[in-house]
Amino acid sequence: MFDPKKFIDDQVEKTRSEVKGKAIIAASGGVDSTVCAAIVSRALGDQLLAVYVDTGFMRKGETKAVDEMLGRLGVNHMVVDASDEYFAALKGVTDPEAKRKIIGEKFIRVFEREAVKSGAEYLVQGTIAPDWIESGGGLRDTIKSHHNVGGLPSDMKMKLVEPLRDLYKDEVRKVARALGIEVAERQPFPGPALAIRIMGEPTRESVDIVREACAIVEEEIEKAAGEGKMNIPWQYFAVLLPVKSVGVQGDVRAYGYTVAVRAVESVDAMSATYMRIPHDVLESISTRITNRMKDRVNRVVYDITDKPPATIEWE
Amino acid sequence: MQVLVVDNGGQWTHREWRVLRDLGVETSIVPNTTPPGSISADGLVLSGGSPRVGLDEEAMGMCGEYIDQLDIPILGICAGHQCMALRLGGKAAHSATPEFGKTLVSVVDEDDLFKGLPETFVAWESHNDEVTELPPGFTLLANSETCPVQAMKHETRPLYGLQFHPEVEHTDNGYEIFQAFLDVCEARRKG
Repeated sequence: MFDPKKFIDDQVEKTRSEVKGKAIIAASGGVDSTVCAAIVSRALGDQLLAVYVDTGFMRKGETKAVDEMLGRLGVNHMVVDASDEYFAALKGVTDPEAKRKIIGEKFIRVFEREAVKSGAEYLVQGTIAPDWIESGGGLRDTIKSHHNVGGLPSDMKMKLVEPLRDLYKDEVRKVARALGIEVAERQPFPGPALAIRIMGEPTRESVDIVREACAIVEEEIEKAAGEGKMNIPWQYFAVLLPVKSVGVQGDVRAYGYTVAVRAVESVDAMSATYMRIPHDVLESISTRITNRMKDRVNRVVYDITDKPPATIEWE
Repeated sequence: MQVLVVDNGGQWTHREWRVLRDLGVETSIVPNTTPPGSISADGLVLSGGSPRVGLDEEAMGMCGEYIDQLDIPILGICAGHQCMALRLGGKAAHSATPEFGKTLVSVVDEDDLFKGLPETFVAWESHNDEVTELPPGFTLLANSETCPVQAMKHETRPLYGLQFHPEVEHTDNGYEIFQAFLDVCEARRKG
């Protein structure tokens, strides 16, 4: 069976022997990259700089929370606001693979700029098994290009260091608990962030809608779990659909967008079942979303598809 | 004991490696172009692969040669299972009803792999093709409402085929099925 303590020792040792000089780590504040930061900083100490990129697609309050968490973790870190660049690069882009590749390349360009400033030759990433499996290559079909694998530009110069490549999320969480990482149980969140929870062009306005909807889904589900009505799902979020439908809001005809709510149970993200959420919890989510969004959203649906045939995120 | 996973490009190839590792055997993933002569393992798992690969001999690399030449237990999964059937004279074709995700599998003959398991259990699937006719010398071990051959076994050689995916977390008894295959490998190794 997987032994997290041995894994930590082996990886610290391996990093020490392989990485000679300065490195930066792509830090999102999620469990994978935070575990990676903790392991690599044991090996490299001050030679490691964690770079968090605010793409403009982050969840409500996320950038501030991650900044504080990285501070408590005790690694050198910085926050780069690159949101203008990201919105400009994604103008008019609706294809999910195009979004993922543009976002993947942008990440690398930001890291390259910071690497030049700090003199780092290595880029540490918290890549885990499903990232490279689903990105495909060779005989394996591309299900979706994960930003940190299939989205990497071919001309990138930094040397990649990926200590978690063979692990799945449940194993990463075991390592996180062994390290005492505070985000050990945080739900997975994709690197392209809210940009792939908008079925269509990610604009500041559409990101605002899905950000608020995601916050409502998280709050209501966490509240219900706190009251013992349900367990916390593996992943739970909202997706903004480009489908408009007719409604009636305040005796006035409405013609607004649709939000899909998704919550799944999984162990490793390679297969998943949709979560059996109590109806009163779904109803609270629905009412709060439509009240809050006013005429922009007048319909909420719940996704009841397992993986396969669906994937967890919609894009 | 060493059991290798032959990679036919499946989404769950690495999961098969993980289950074998969790069960305490020495294991690694090898490309399906590895020459049979350089394989000295005690057992082989032929992984699944991207759509249609089970019906396309070329994409299956040396899988056919492993089945012909290696005298060790072989477990074909999904595309690996379809490849085994085709290689030994059975038939495989596009599924009239493909299965994705949750499926109820019914055990017809528990044999080695399903010993002590319930008569029906939940298994996770992901296939567009399936075995439509058993090869000569094979016995049917399990089926489902929409797929006639969910599991098969050669009557004299240690060759097993599964259409469903025992390596997936959502499949019930997956670790038990892998352990049963490892028991076959262990018994054979000790001769």
